Amino acid sequence: MEINIKHIAKLAKLSIPEDKLAKFETEMQDMIKMVENLPEIPTGGAVIDENDTMELREDVVVPSSPRDEMIMNAPQTAAGCILIPKVVE
Amino acid sequence: MDKLYSLSATSMKELLDKKEVSSVEITKSVIERIEKTDKDINAYISYNFENAVKQAQEVDEKRAKGETVGALAGIPVAVKDNICVKNLKATCASKMLENFVAPYNATVTEKLYANDAIIIGKTTMDEFAMGSSGENSALAIAKNPWNTQRVPGGSSSGSAATVAASQVPFALGSDTGGSIRQPSAFTGIVGLKPTYGAVSRYGLVAFASSLDQIGPMARTVDDTAMLFSAICGRDAKDATSKNYTFEGYTDSVKGMRIGVPKEYYGEGVSAVVKEKVYTAIETLKAQGAEIINISLPSTEYALSAYYIIACAEASSNLGRYDGVKYGYSGNRTAGLNEMYESTRSEGFGDEVKRRIMLGTYVLSSGYYDAYYKRAKMLQQNIVKEYNEAFKLCDVILTPTSPITAFNFGEKTDNQVEMYAADICTVTVNIAGLPGINVPCGFDSNNLPIGFQIIGKKFRESDILTVAKCYEKTVGGFAVKEF
Repeated sequence: MEINIKHIAKLAKLSIPEDKLAKFETEMQDMIKMVENLPEIPTGGAVIDENDTMELREDVVVPSSPRDEMIMNAPQTAAGCILIPKVVE
Repeated sequence: MDKLYSLSATSMKELLDKKEVSSVEITKSVIERIEKTDKDINAYISYNFENAVKQAQEVDEKRAKGETVGALAGIPVAVKDNICVKNLKATCASKMLENFVAPYNATVTEKLYANDAIIIGKTTMDEFAMGSSGENSALAIAKNPWNTQRVPGGSSSGSAATVAASQVPFALGSDTGGSIRQPSAFTGIVGLKPTYGAVSRYGLVAFASSLDQIGPMARTVDDTAMLFSAICGRDAKDATSKNYTFEGYTDSVKGMRIGVPKEYYGEGVSAVVKEKVYTAIETLKAQGAEIINISLPSTEYALSAYYIIACAEASSNLGRYDGVKYGYSGNRTAGLNEMYESTRSEGFGDEVKRRIMLGTYVLSSGYYDAYYKRAKMLQQNIVKEYNEAFKLCDVILTPTSPITAFNFGEKTDNQVEMYAADICTVTVNIAGLPGINVPCGFDSNNLPIGFQIIGKKFRESDILTVAKCYEKTVGGFAVKEF
């Protein structure tokens, strides 16, 4: 089976070093071979169980977490905001 | 009296209630035990000793004043490192979250505190709970107390190891495809994966959200049930959690119908595992259970369905690790895309990358119907087969793992072989059912073997009853002198 490992990695926002490409490709082929063991079943139905519904909570206002706690793990912050690299020229 | 650290949680509770010991004494005994043995077991990523002693003092004061205390008052518990405890690290054993400090408590953590339990530390695991041996940890690789050359199983490797080594009476783990039950089998302890929706997942770092559940691991059935009853129930912060009152359990299987599915006793299961599990079935039969042969034909496709669904969800869930909001951040000087890629490539270990890529592949254009959709359809077939089986029996009994604990490095180069270790446990998550590991003997290398009891949804009572009956009949489970 042909696997374009570079393409999959790009979709997943991962970069695989050149010297590891072959290894990852073999491993992915083995994994895909394993998961291909599926019976022929009709795929027309819904993929979720309609009888198993989630229970929503009431829409009431409650205190939320303080901003400084929410951003305390951010790699870079300034003036209570999270910083990212520049995205526009 | 036995050394305090070696007591079950139930015995600790009795002594505490009678005021024969204090929580500070128990907590200090546990800390001393961990300090003495953890260099060999390596079960923890971080300790919480200082806070634990402080917390124990507070619980002791509450008792002294005659105030009402919680169901776990003064008893030490360990928590897997993918569960948030405010102001402690929650690393998921990943370089990605190596320095992440939880800004809030998981709901199970709130419940531990509300019940006055003492959180002693955070246990190691396979990175992001992806693994069956504990070897995928980027931070600490736990060892099996029965033989430190062997893996403790995974992904709740540290929680299993710390309980089996009598460092703590019980611990919380999480189970997406067997991550509580399989390490419990490898280390000879009891481990319960609750019904999907029985325990809140709020504050559990997501791997595969439709399959993940938090559950208790302990050396006795009573301790397992004690911890479970403290953490279960509806939580408004997890829309998939359900209103649920745990009804308790008995020690009699008289008249109970135990289903034995032939698909779980096939070629891939080692002879000694089969022999011990069959012996356990005979034991339960002698106690009055009715043994019924059943069939769950879709089992042969279970691994495929599991790895497709779990990896698809993981590839989506782990998209959040982008170097922006928290966690490791890679090269920030070359642009946003470069930051994403370097963050993820440097922060994740190889197994996590493999699973993200498998998930990306099965969800990608042109492959969705062939993989993900078929797997989800198969999931419905598996659910139907279980429903049919439960018309004939009350619980189902299988081996927990087809093999006993293997050597470090034995399977690290062969993912497919490693994944096969989950063959007996994954369908339980796919169908959202409760399952429990019960120790039932040893192989010729003195490595533990366990059987799994699977129950109907929200019938933890049934599987705990079978486990309790078995435990009582065999006179309790062996504990490793360590």
